Amino acid sequence: MKPHAHTLDVIKLNIALPNGRRLLRDVSLTLEPGEVRALVGESGAGKSMIGKSVLGILPPNVTITEGEILLEGQHLNMMTPATRRKTVAQSAALIPQDPLTALNPVRKIGPQIVDPLVRIQGWSRSDAEARALDLLDRVHIRDPKRVMGSYPHELSGGMRQRVLIAAAFAPSPRLIVADEPTTALDVTVQKQILRLIRELQQETGTAVLFVTHDMGVVAKISQKVTVLFAGKVMEDAPTPEVFTNPRHPYTRALIAATPSYADLDRPFSPVPAALIKDLHARIAQDDMLYTGGRR
Amino acid sequence: MLLKTVLTRLATTLVTLFGVAVVVFTLVRVAPGNPIAMMLPPGATEEDIANLTRLYGFDKSLPEQFAIWLSGVVQGDFGTSITLRQPVMELVLGRLPATLELSIMALVIAVTLGGLVAVIGARKRGTGTEVGLDLTNGAVLSVPDFLWGLIFVLLFGVLWPVLSISGRVDPRLDIDFTSNFYVIEGLLRGRFDVVGSTLSHMLMPAMSLALPLAAMIAQLLKQSLKEVLHLDYTTLARVRGFSETAVILREALRNAALPTLTLVGVQFTFLIGGTVIVERIFAYEGLGNMAIDAVINRDLPLIQGIVILFAALFIVINLLVDLSYTLLNPRLRHG
Repeated sequence: MKPHAHTLDVIKLNIALPNGRRLLRDVSLTLEPGEVRALVGESGAGKSMIGKSVLGILPPNVTITEGEILLEGQHLNMMTPATRRKTVAQSAALIPQDPLTALNPVRKIGPQIVDPLVRIQGWSRSDAEARALDLLDRVHIRDPKRVMGSYPHELSGGMRQRVLIAAAFAPSPRLIVADEPTTALDVTVQKQILRLIRELQQETGTAVLFVTHDMGVVAKISQKVTVLFAGKVMEDAPTPEVFTNPRHPYTRALIAATPSYADLDRPFSPVPAALIKDLHARIAQDDMLYTGGRR
Repeated sequence: MLLKTVLTRLATTLVTLFGVAVVVFTLVRVAPGNPIAMMLPPGATEEDIANLTRLYGFDKSLPEQFAIWLSGVVQGDFGTSITLRQPVMELVLGRLPATLELSIMALVIAVTLGGLVAVIGARKRGTGTEVGLDLTNGAVLSVPDFLWGLIFVLLFGVLWPVLSISGRVDPRLDIDFTSNFYVIEGLLRGRFDVVGSTLSHMLMPAMSLALPLAAMIAQLLKQSLKEVLHLDYTTLARVRGFSETAVILREALRNAALPTLTLVGVQFTFLIGGTVIVERIFAYEGLGNMAIDAVINRDLPLIQGIVILFAALFIVINLLVDLSYTLLNPRLRHG
């Protein structure tokens, strides 16, 4: 196998709560350089947990029980915490869900973008500042100098998300985890932010793991899709194929459940309860056979 | 806008001080204990008593006495101490530096110690170290300042006599300072012998005052830090490669400091109140020690002067706390 062939490999990943309840069940996926993969599923399906496992920011009570995560060919869960942190910071970044809570309220915008570049990536301050200004310009912020000197509360939610996107792309990461980056925003702003992420992604060739519950977003931004249910991969396929020829009944139900603005008269069809019950029964069966990495 | 704030503040300050003056003036006169009786030797005649009572104006009605005293106060004259026979203003201002230096040193110790324990506790959250620190905090907090004073006297005055247990400075030192701020003026003049001696006298009373406050700061600040460390911007800092300690110091501390600042402001006034008894234990020549003597001797003008000064001090401290809010929190700077 060529080294660095994939930007990200997640192999048979299992994470669990202290009581043994699994939140991810044998999840595998790969991300090629420059590829956008959407992770879809309902809330609680574990889609955010995959990104958090990669970035090393799982909640303190959740642990990886089994499986491998390779970032640019490097085994993350064999590293010491300090090495892991540095490796992740060198190659990956996060666009968070809620721009209102993701910026430190008592620090100006400028240092929040510049400091990691200087202190972690080892850039000179002038390089880092130039980079920050350039990126703020590229996320279509009109007066980057002024914004650098502003506090978060002086900016709107959409502006703050732009700032966070600029900060994520600033160190030229190979992988960006976008954790429902448009969910907390107004519908009108959502489209702009989505377009912006796609624009920058295409310019830089960064691979993106895009977590969302919105099949509409999936269609717009991704090349590959992983559909999750209860922490288990239901379907993994190229995006066009998922929409034209969904193999798994759950994927079909999910697409059918997506509301369409073009056709408001179409009746809303939720994922059938019988299907969910059936899926849960199968997962329970799996769990009975699962030994949690122990024999 | 700013002018209006300042004027409002000034007005409320004056009203508060007037209220304090009325209360303390009435209280010391209504409470049992006669200052005249304290001054005269046993066997004094009725006439002597009457003369002295007239001399100090105690024969007049309460409102009259208050009016006379207040008219002096607005001109900066707080009367004359009955026992020490010196102007109250002079006495009180002479002792104020000692108490200020002691309380500020206690505050510095409390904030440093409490802050350090809070940061370590937050860094080691969820481990045995945190539990250990919590238990120690609880124990330290449950021992009051004067008891710490006695413990320190026993430890460092008797069992291992390294610190001076009484007074403010070595009396053999020749001090020709213009102010009574021994530490500050000593530093400015380069008289490090005076600074050293004053600090070694101050250490135990300052620690006694500081420890309970330090425990409170440690507990509250750690709690706030732990809350902030769940927030998205701290998570983002971790993703960007900052170590947990860096995340606490750079991202969390300033945000978590606000509730602690309120506590420190309120508790600092209690700490100054605590100097009364702690200064007594260490025979430290400050305001608190003087206050106890004044109360024992029914030295009414002196009691009034000290209480008014304490009140003014509390108001100034609260003002400083309010101002530091705006420094820490940019959201308060507008509007």
